[in-house]
Amino acid sequence: MGTAELERVREEFLAALRSAGNDPDGVEAVRVRFAGRRSGLLRDLEERLKVLPKEEKPAFGKALNELKRFVGERLDAAQSAAAEAARVAEAFDVTLPGRRPETGSLHPVTLVRREVEEIFLRMGYSVADGPEVEDDWHNFEALNIPPDHPARDTQDTFYLEGGLLLRTHTSPVQVRSMESTKPPIRLIIPGRVYRRDSDLRHSPMFHQVEGLVVDEGITFANLKATLEAFVHVLFDPALAVRFRPSYFPFTEPSAEVDITCIFCRGKGCQVCSQSGWIEILGAGMVDPRVFRACGIDETRYTGFAFGCGLDRVAMLKYGIPDLRLLFSGDERMLRQFPAGVAR
Amino acid sequence: MKLLLSWVCEHLEGARAADVIAERLTAAGLNVETREKAGDDELWDVDVTTNRPDAMNHRGLAREAATAGCGTLEALAPVVPEGPAGVAELGKVTVVDSAGCPRYCARVIRGVTIGPSPAWLAERLERCGIRPINNVVDATNYVLLDLGQPLHAFDLDLLAGREIVVRRAAAGERFTTLDGVERVLVAADLVIADRDRAVALAGVMGGANSEISGRTRDVLLESACFEPLSIRRTARRLGLSTEASFRFERGADPAMARTAADVAAALIRQLAGGEIAAGVLDSAPVLAAPRTISLSLARLSAFAGCPIPRERALAILAALELEPRGDGDEIACTVPTFRIDLELAEDVYEEVLRHFGYDNIPSLLPASTAAPGRRLGSWPLTERAREAITAAGLAETCSYAFVAESAEAATAASPLADRGATLRLSNPLSARLAVMRRSVLAGLLEAAAGNLRRGAERVALAEVGRVYFADGAAAREEERLAVALAGRTGAWDDSRETDFLDLKGVVETVLGHLGVAGATWTPGHDAVLEPGFAARVTVAGRVVAVAGRLAGAVADSFEVPAPLWVAEIDLSCAAREVVPSFRPLPRFPAVVADLTVRHKVALPYERLDAAVRGAAPEWLEEVVPVVRYRGEGVGADEVKTTLRLVYRHGERSLTQDEVNAAHFALMDALTRDLGVSFT
Repeated sequence: MGTAELERVREEFLAALRSAGNDPDGVEAVRVRFAGRRSGLLRDLEERLKVLPKEEKPAFGKALNELKRFVGERLDAAQSAAAEAARVAEAFDVTLPGRRPETGSLHPVTLVRREVEEIFLRMGYSVADGPEVEDDWHNFEALNIPPDHPARDTQDTFYLEGGLLLRTHTSPVQVRSMESTKPPIRLIIPGRVYRRDSDLRHSPMFHQVEGLVVDEGITFANLKATLEAFVHVLFDPALAVRFRPSYFPFTEPSAEVDITCIFCRGKGCQVCSQSGWIEILGAGMVDPRVFRACGIDETRYTGFAFGCGLDRVAMLKYGIPDLRLLFSGDERMLRQFPAGVAR
Repeated sequence: MKLLLSWVCEHLEGARAADVIAERLTAAGLNVETREKAGDDELWDVDVTTNRPDAMNHRGLAREAATAGCGTLEALAPVVPEGPAGVAELGKVTVVDSAGCPRYCARVIRGVTIGPSPAWLAERLERCGIRPINNVVDATNYVLLDLGQPLHAFDLDLLAGREIVVRRAAAGERFTTLDGVERVLVAADLVIADRDRAVALAGVMGGANSEISGRTRDVLLESACFEPLSIRRTARRLGLSTEASFRFERGADPAMARTAADVAAALIRQLAGGEIAAGVLDSAPVLAAPRTISLSLARLSAFAGCPIPRERALAILAALELEPRGDGDEIACTVPTFRIDLELAEDVYEEVLRHFGYDNIPSLLPASTAAPGRRLGSWPLTERAREAITAAGLAETCSYAFVAESAEAATAASPLADRGATLRLSNPLSARLAVMRRSVLAGLLEAAAGNLRRGAERVALAEVGRVYFADGAAAREEERLAVALAGRTGAWDDSRETDFLDLKGVVETVLGHLGVAGATWTPGHDAVLEPGFAARVTVAGRVVAVAGRLAGAVADSFEVPAPLWVAEIDLSCAAREVVPSFRPLPRFPAVVADLTVRHKVALPYERLDAAVRGAAPEWLEEVVPVVRYRGEGVGADEVKTTLRLVYRHGERSLTQDEVNAAHFALMDALTRDLGVSFT
């Protein structure tokens, strides 16, 4: 029995006060427990003092007074803090909206473009670009589309006064890369392209990404695996991928690549015209005529190329119903895609 | 391409079920896009690619179905019940331009009775989208859909001299096509003429002057082959695309010209009676030797990436009528006349692979020998600019690169846009999309105006995009970032109208992202911006950005209903991306002192700042403005600027005395040099 017990009471008091926090009722309970007139612990200690041996009384009494003063001060402080907290809490509404820092947003086409780029960068492709104002050679002739070729019908072209044109696909960048680089080549080329077409499903300006791989021993099986890997990462690993023979002047053989409709899972719906499939890519093995035009030895190298509409991917991915919305500049639409949403 | 299932199956022996045919055609590259019930038949819409004119008819599609294992293609051996009279006595064909018309076959049927076609035939034509006219014309259209050969029937009595001359048109020659439109021809147009005048636009459309009518007795039936380019040019120039021109543009089969003449003559006789004259007027009865292509089976397998069994390859080639021959690796093929698309071995690989089935080729990623990929060209730059957009709280937008001439002109009045002449489209979709922009503001202003007109309280848009300049005969493209701000900014309970400093902060953020240091802001006078609210930003004497309030006249022309703050930045000002290097943190405490300076409004902050830095000791670490005050207690032409000065020495703690001494000396210097006061 002695000052050690007082020390213990002091510790207990502080612990109780800490756990009461700013709760007025909790602080009051601590007061009653320690400083209550009838049954507080301090009162008990006063009683104890009375019956102590005489020689212990001065030291214990002094320590007890010290403790009483400490408890009183701390209780006063805690009570006023609790009262202040209650006052603040009355006006404190956690449900009011916060003052948010203004965050930016990226265009949905930028988001899907970056996703596509990430996938191919990881597979060792570089991301290239080139001019949008092109000449006939790079946009058409080098790609095995001579003048008056019927394929020019489907790529109705904007011409500039003076004979240059707006590229109808990003393929001219493939040509420029092959003209200036030796294989092995692994590139993707995203960018704006232009076709003289405007309706619900066509915009006179839109975005494409194309890919090009040229090396010794590149096979059709390589093309299949690459595009399967791509759409599985971009959309969903569970999607079926279908390669349909098709025709492009610059690839031979050519394929159109369909994926299971991501909306109906292949059952048939409005988006996929009840077919269960959505066309997502055009692809093929680079036509030897294109290699020849670009100065690549077609007896040594093979390669594949593919292309895909980024606007369409964005529409599919985010459920955007109308192509024209992408070019409307409507901030109500743009702000729905905070930066990084695609990750 | 609309095709009837029953019709396709007529060419097949042992045809498989409809579902199997549809599925296998699609897998072989003839995508059956839709199938609809048509009575007890099915009408299919098949997507036949432009390189395959041979498959744009029922027999051609049946050949593909047969190759895909859906039956055996029936032989085509028309029997023509000819009369005694020889065709050479009844008519004459002269091909003057054999380059434009490699083959012209004609048959004559005399004594026909023109009337409606039987229901079965009319129904087939209608289902395939061709309006029935009369039995003779319908017969030609029927054979077109059946075999892919465009035919034309002339009323022989209306052909002057009862003869056909295939020649180029005389420039300015006038000719009325079957649709009743008079066409003015050019010398490049190929025409079918009689002795005196044009009677048809070769391969495009017949003429009103020789058409089959109720009075027609004798028919001259044309089945010819025309050079694709010539037909395409004429059809495009006249804006006249017909079933015939569509096929001739893609290439017709010279052998089929003769076969189809036989089939059609027999059909006309069956439908309209009459007598078929013996023989055919044929301008080129001997066909050129067919092309041969040889291919290596080993290369084919290497190209595919999996073994293609020899028997399978040969069976496919045989079914496609390529007559494969050879015992070893080398296989020689003879290209049938109808396969104008096959030239190289790779073309033949495709034939084998698409019927082998793309699904049967495995998926194997290429061996990875590539170095890690990276962004090339202007991508690193434009991506940095986009990071700046999000850091500055803006929404990235995307607008057309071509704009109206007036919009282009209004936004080009800036030193960034005035770097070359405008590029004009020669065939724009509309006047609103007629010229290439020289300022990204052209599209951005429209977007900003649209948002404001929709009632947006705030606009904060940015676009990264190219601008385009004529550069002699070439074009030059530059990368830009443009910004548009309007409305209120700040938190919901603490917002205010956007002003110039908000815009400047955005521009500074962008320049910071681009690593641009030493930018100087001076008042601008570019017509796109409102005088007095305009700035130019220069780095080393070169204008890198313009910023300010959109000029009233420009705002009016874009129908912008509220003050709009705009900026355009030339991204080429960016510094090369460098790795940041760490600066040691300060070891000694700072002494912070505020200083309120009363000065003329006309004194630019830049000068005040420079004067402070010039007069302060070298251990002035930082000076920033904290308050600008105008109003009560300050003269009308005056302002009070409170600066916060941070003093800190790099090697020791400063004493209050030395800071005070320096601070008072600074005040004296400012008073002396700028005439400012501190009351």
